[in-house]
Amino acid sequence: MRIRNVVQLHTVNKLQAFGWPLVIMLLSLTVVLIIGALVVNVAAAAGDGAQARAGMNMGMQWNGAIFALLGPLIGFGFTAMGQYFPLALGLGLTRREFATGTALVFAGNAAFYAVIITIGKVIEVATGGFGLGIRFFDTHFTGTGEWWQTLVQTFLLILSVMLVGAAITTAFHRWGQSFLWVFWIALAVVVLAFSAGLVLSEPFRGFAVDVGTMGWLPWMGVVALLGAVGAAVWLALVRRAQAR
Amino acid sequence: MLDDSKPLFVAVAEQIEDGILDGTYAEDDPVPSTNELAAFLRINPATAGKGFSLLVDAGVLIKRRGIGMFVAPGAREALRQRRRFAFQDQFIAPLLREAAQLGISAEDLADMITKEAVR
Amino acid sequence: MTAIVTRQLSKHYPEVRALDGVSIALEEHRIHGLLGRNGAGKTTLMQLLTGQVFATDGTMEVLGASPVENADVLMQTCFIQESQKYPDTFRAIDVLRVAAGAYPNWDQAFADRLVDEFRLPVKRMIKKLSRGQLSAIGIVVGLASRAPLTFFDEPYLGLDAVARRMFYDRLLADFSEHPRTVVLSTHHIDEVANLLEHVIILDEGRVLLDADTDELHHAAMAVSGRAADVDAFLSDREVLERTVLGTLATATFTARAGDERAAREAGLDVSQVSLQALFVLLTTANAAAAEQPIGTRSATDVATS
Repeated sequence: MRIRNVVQLHTVNKLQAFGWPLVIMLLSLTVVLIIGALVVNVAAAAGDGAQARAGMNMGMQWNGAIFALLGPLIGFGFTAMGQYFPLALGLGLTRREFATGTALVFAGNAAFYAVIITIGKVIEVATGGFGLGIRFFDTHFTGTGEWWQTLVQTFLLILSVMLVGAAITTAFHRWGQSFLWVFWIALAVVVLAFSAGLVLSEPFRGFAVDVGTMGWLPWMGVVALLGAVGAAVWLALVRRAQAR
Repeated sequence: MLDDSKPLFVAVAEQIEDGILDGTYAEDDPVPSTNELAAFLRINPATAGKGFSLLVDAGVLIKRRGIGMFVAPGAREALRQRRRFAFQDQFIAPLLREAAQLGISAEDLADMITKEAVR
Repeated sequence: MTAIVTRQLSKHYPEVRALDGVSIALEEHRIHGLLGRNGAGKTTLMQLLTGQVFATDGTMEVLGASPVENADVLMQTCFIQESQKYPDTFRAIDVLRVAAGAYPNWDQAFADRLVDEFRLPVKRMIKKLSRGQLSAIGIVVGLASRAPLTFFDEPYLGLDAVARRMFYDRLLADFSEHPRTVVLSTHHIDEVANLLEHVIILDEGRVLLDADTDELHHAAMAVSGRAADVDAFLSDREVLERTVLGTLATATFTARAGDERAAREAGLDVSQVSLQALFVLLTTANAAAAEQPIGTRSATDVATS
């Protein structure tokens, strides 16, 4: 199987493959550091330094700045099928070879960035938020627990989203607009039902709280399940995907 | 460059024949290879090959295995004879037709030919 | 060996029958021309033969086996299509690098020479290339791949006449040195007529003509002269086209042996019908026949004055 060729297809443009995401991450980190420095300095001038730092540290648990890095990675799931698949077919690679090689690249990507984020988190925690009390790597999105939890969580998150993205793109390619309509309507229905349940039903609210405070492991199970479903759908559909 | 009133491979063959008749290719000389000729005329090598085959079959060229194609001995004379034979159909008949259209009699035609030959 | 065999190959889309019952056989190591108007089915046929699109009906064998999801066949096949999409961030050199790995017979030195000759800016983003430069990428890949079966689907879009001539010359030279099976679809028929050994004309998804170019040479002929003379000469022929100007007429018809001499003797001017002219005549006649009720389909007369 010409898996090496598929991998090469995804990585040949090395600057794009590894350079930009890291640069964007560093830029985003810099912005957060600057914000942190400003907050600390302003608060210190007002004599409020320690409290401001603590408050900022708490609030930044949900800091989505890390999505500057994760966003493009998520997009990769879509572009893999949208842009790389046609070229792979054009160069005579089979759908099986492409799926295998691309899945490998997804996993490799997820592992690489999971390691980087984990290292970042370890440093961040050890230095008390880079000396400024900010959070960038150590957020709920990436896991605020142990370093190995961050590693696993980030890996699963990235991989699953890539697989789901590939599945959605393949489905769209196959069924076009009608698929999108169905998808968004289904999503809207689910959100609506969920919200209605929250508002109208006490037991449901209780259930929602239970789910929300579900342990780390069950949540990982959910993410992994989504990824598995995405992979299954993607692989089932790609076998009959035609070049347009 | 090639006469387009005939199939391409025939025109190719005739071009080689022309070269033999006017002395470009002397007897026992090699002729260009199929690929060389094809590249030169911008045609498919198979067509050039067909043209050569025609000439080999007609005894105008000989194939020396491993070396190439050469003008056969006596080819020039043989070609001359053959073309003389076709001369009447190819040139005389149309000449007479055109002359008839213009009202030139056979005798006038003969005069014209004699005058032109002297010039 | 026969490089490609199809039997009743069809591709039906909901809106259109892109290909309908196509049965052809293409011999290896020849340059085959695939001609047809826009939408005739040329690209669809090539997409089917390279496994990019799935057939609705019929069978095909490419290099002895079905090409669908068949890496062994596909690595010996190169398909250069005018509508090839590339990833947004790709540069030409990225395509060349991946292609070099995908094709076992790739010749890097040849590719480098071609890049120079076509003046392809390999480090520029593909999004920023002109149509001609985009075509040049396809040409470099197609030629340097040395794939035993190479399809060129209108590979010259955007290329000027000089670059087109360069493509034909490089193709011919490489084909002579390293024979392979080439299938070339084109609208510039007269430019390549001398390169083609075998021609297939597709029209509305069906095969209209499938013949060696040598045979096609005397397939049709054009005569002109006094209308009465022309009509008399052609009284028992299939006339493909007839135009009239006053008392003069020109007609193109399916020729038989000896027709040329007979026509000249009848006082008519004779001229040859180029491959391109023949193509136009046949496809026009086919379209006109499709509009006529059945029963009057044997010959078509397009009279203009």
